Amino acid sequence: MTNSWTDLQNSRCFLIAGSNCAENHPIAMRWINRARDKGAKIIVVDPRFTRTASQADIFAQIRPGTDIAYLGAIIRHILVNKLYDKDYVLNYTNALYKVSKDYKFDAGLFSGFDAKGKKYSIDSWGYQLGPDNKPLKADSLEDPDTVFAKLQEHFSRYTFDKAEKITGIPAAKIKEIADTFCQAKPATILYALGMTQHTTAVQGIRSYAIIQLLLGNVGKAGGGINALRGEPNVQGSTDMANLFNSLPGYLPAPIGTDKTLRDYLVRNGSIQEKPLVALLKAWFGQSATKENDYCFNYLPKYNLSINASMVRIFDLMNKGQFKLLINIGSNSLVSIPNRQMVRSGLAKLDMLVVSDLFEIETAQFWREPGVNPAEIKTEVILLPAAFVYEKDGSLTNSGRWIQWKDAALKPLGESKPDLEVLDSLFRRVRQLYQGSTDPKDEPVLKARWDYGQEPSALKVLQEISGYDETTGKLLPTLADYLKAPAGSVSTGCWIYTGVTGNGNLAAKRKNGDPSGLGLFKDWSFAWPANIRILYNRASCDANGQPVDPERKLVWWDPAARVWSGNDGPDVVDKTKGPETPEGKLSFRMNPEGVGRLFAAKYTSGMPAAPPVDNLPAIGLRPAGLCVDGPLPEFYEPVESPTGNLLHSEVSSNPLVVIPATVPGIQKVGKPGDFPYVLTTYGVVEQFCAGGVTRNIPVLNELMPGPFAEISKNLAQKIGAQDGDTVEVASARGKLRVRCLVTDRLQTYKVNGKDTETIGIPWGWGFASLSPGPGANELTIGVLDPGAGTPEYKACLVNIRRV
Amino acid sequence: MTRKMVLADTSKCTGCKACTVACKEWNQLPAEKTQLVKSYQSMRTFTPDTWSFVTFDENYSISQMHWLMRKAQCFHCADPACLKACTSKAISKTESGYVVIDKDLCIGCGYCAENCPFGVPKVDDQQKKAFKCTGCIDRVENNLKPMCVQTCQTGALEFGERDNLMVKAKKRLAEVKGKYPKAVLYGEKEMGGMTHSYILLDSPEAYGLPSHPVAPLALTLWKDIIRPVGTVAMGGAAAAVVFGILGNALRGNYGPPESGKGGKE
Repeated sequence: MTNSWTDLQNSRCFLIAGSNCAENHPIAMRWINRARDKGAKIIVVDPRFTRTASQADIFAQIRPGTDIAYLGAIIRHILVNKLYDKDYVLNYTNALYKVSKDYKFDAGLFSGFDAKGKKYSIDSWGYQLGPDNKPLKADSLEDPDTVFAKLQEHFSRYTFDKAEKITGIPAAKIKEIADTFCQAKPATILYALGMTQHTTAVQGIRSYAIIQLLLGNVGKAGGGINALRGEPNVQGSTDMANLFNSLPGYLPAPIGTDKTLRDYLVRNGSIQEKPLVALLKAWFGQSATKENDYCFNYLPKYNLSINASMVRIFDLMNKGQFKLLINIGSNSLVSIPNRQMVRSGLAKLDMLVVSDLFEIETAQFWREPGVNPAEIKTEVILLPAAFVYEKDGSLTNSGRWIQWKDAALKPLGESKPDLEVLDSLFRRVRQLYQGSTDPKDEPVLKARWDYGQEPSALKVLQEISGYDETTGKLLPTLADYLKAPAGSVSTGCWIYTGVTGNGNLAAKRKNGDPSGLGLFKDWSFAWPANIRILYNRASCDANGQPVDPERKLVWWDPAARVWSGNDGPDVVDKTKGPETPEGKLSFRMNPEGVGRLFAAKYTSGMPAAPPVDNLPAIGLRPAGLCVDGPLPEFYEPVESPTGNLLHSEVSSNPLVVIPATVPGIQKVGKPGDFPYVLTTYGVVEQFCAGGVTRNIPVLNELMPGPFAEISKNLAQKIGAQDGDTVEVASARGKLRVRCLVTDRLQTYKVNGKDTETIGIPWGWGFASLSPGPGANELTIGVLDPGAGTPEYKACLVNIRRV
Repeated sequence: MTRKMVLADTSKCTGCKACTVACKEWNQLPAEKTQLVKSYQSMRTFTPDTWSFVTFDENYSISQMHWLMRKAQCFHCADPACLKACTSKAISKTESGYVVIDKDLCIGCGYCAENCPFGVPKVDDQQKKAFKCTGCIDRVENNLKPMCVQTCQTGALEFGERDNLMVKAKKRLAEVKGKYPKAVLYGEKEMGGMTHSYILLDSPEAYGLPSHPVAPLALTLWKDIIRPVGTVAMGGAAAAVVFGILGNALRGNYGPPESGKGGKE
């Protein structure tokens, strides 16, 4: 989230698209309802009329996976009718920046496409640079080279009519959504997996960013782009590098060609030196010195050409690439798409270790009905895990609040907290390596690992928060970290710096909200530096004064010559006023210091002349990039009932990743055989893959099993009535489930043709007190090329009454 | 204690069912085996172990979907039919507005269940006792909110003084009517005024509730007119048997709407 749960109360309009928050984040409704009490409007766009939709002022049923088409139409509407916030666009975005003359978009492809390698060479996605290597800026938005002009040109194709033909949402309704959202300020966008579980995941969210930047809604109370994170600690786990391509604090993970720290900095900019060195100091302590490159060579390096995300791991497992899988906090056999691939992959392992509360499906994959245990050689070990209330530690919520909790209960029986399991595992492994002189064993032997005899979660959080390595004392604040020279401080995750600097701030529980804006600054600690609303400099005008008098976040105090406010000011330097170059920057984490309407290739601080030693130059800060284009483009899901109306020759994402190391493992169906669109989701009564909740009788009572939701038209067509059993099949698998006939799904037109969506919740499996088939029997494991998220939300199926 | 009230603003209910879990936990009620009844509703009616559940009704017309969700439990009527029907003086009303069953006095005759216009009380055949929502009277009388209200995340359930909440409810109804012209306040006057009152987004019938709930005619006849005479003539117990039979024979005008078959499960 750029903002926070409690900030939702400040919004005047919600676009909830790609999130069924009433179902999956029920607490959201508390804050949304407070905004509604003050007259806020709710727009819900979803393939189904959901629990969230029941609360909406405007609901639109969309064909799964076509969001960019209607969002593109909204962007076009904003541009054509000049609904954008001109001051904001000029001052706080890269609208005026001049794009390289080589940049092009034609027939579904951006310039630089390499068809053989299925990737883009992105040099043409840069800016026109001056002799100082800084981007050239035009004088006005009329200049044909500007980002703004590229935006206009790109989205000119996205008319309301075209969007209707693609999405199935009537053009008039898209216009109503656009007008409602553009007229209300501040307005916010809420999304979750409904937006990200597509092969156009990153670009869908880019569309949101463009809309919110054009409307001037980012950095403001009640605005922003708010990703509603899943399990209570999904935010925390991504902060701590649950993603294959990052290190804690979103540092890029080193790749195979990064032989030295310098190589790494050439790719990632000098800005990453301090956090990476601080991380290496946290991990290797005194062993990490300037002379040995701070143990940079201890870090594992990944292969850029392999998208080593979750689905890919199971794909490669089928090839026999893994001997051992330690599976903690995930019911992979239920939650990974195309689960036949997961099951066959697990059978190729030598050993599988599952740590969980119950014997979840993953732990007993070898005795799934239909599987012959005699044919499976994998040794399976189940470790009893402690429940969330049985362990100390912190959880980071979607609003980046790091919240500490103490254990409320002693772990049941022999179950252990994850920390204890991992701590004893590491210490025993280290013992086995004692005495080794093999260089490859050095990281294990030299790791700084001291969380006490009974490992303390607070000590872990303190390591994450950071130490002054010269004194061994805790680093008080992020400012102290920023002031210190590289190598003299350690942090296990630089964005968390200071969380335990002055006591355990994550445990703070003061409920005061003097500004009335829901900032709650003394409740826990929000990263970074307790800033509650990111980019809040953009809530001020050029003079540093709040634009919205009712929602004042920060301001420049000219008398005291300092940025201050109700929230922590998100500025480069609190003492640099709005007249200084630093004081103008509202998006300081971008190399340009402004919001990026166009995701250009750019690195700030590149020296004008190459270094004298002939080594490659190191810039300051490279921009974040989208591998599949600097602007969002609509592509059909990999399995789609129709061709791409914008460019038939490039239907789905040209960079899509289809993990199929073993041939035939990822079959793709055709609409002739599988005419209906399937979308999958969770239900509020059961949690995620159900490993816990399906073993709780009182929750099974509320939602006793899975179902297939279908429209009345489709029910009539296949001769099924509510409660009948239906068989749903995709190119990858089939299942039998109760059918739920509902008006909440309606037949819709796609390019003039009647189309049906079927909905099946995914969180069931063959084990537990409430067994049942889960939708990942059917889903397809194709991935977004940037984020690696699978296309859970759209594939093709057929259905018949049994 | 003054008259209390729970206001359920169904315009804010998302049917998350957390209230019903809280009810089971607080009252230590066992879970039941269920299957979906309609839409996302998993309980058809009340049982001795389920005193509260959420109803789901889907109303679709003119391209407009209304998904109506309502937490069902005892309304705690000011003029409760169950109390009138009770043959063993097990049912009483509290000052705070709650209708409670004294298990020690209950003989499990089932007349309360037969006569409630909403089909709320249910008799457990083994224990021979009637069960229903207590309104968390044990909490309320110790200045705690009822457990369902305590748990509600969205702000759909609110607990307070009846006089104050009723004023608020009327104000809220006026707001809700802007979007839902058929919205009604249910419980202000019905059955003498209910402790659990609702802002419904559609007519009560759309939720499967009677628009004008009344105690069965036979019950009224028996309790208010015949029994005072009959008790004198032949003694209480015999009167209860005779007129209970009479009552059940005459019954039928007001079948419990949430249950095909009223009474014992």
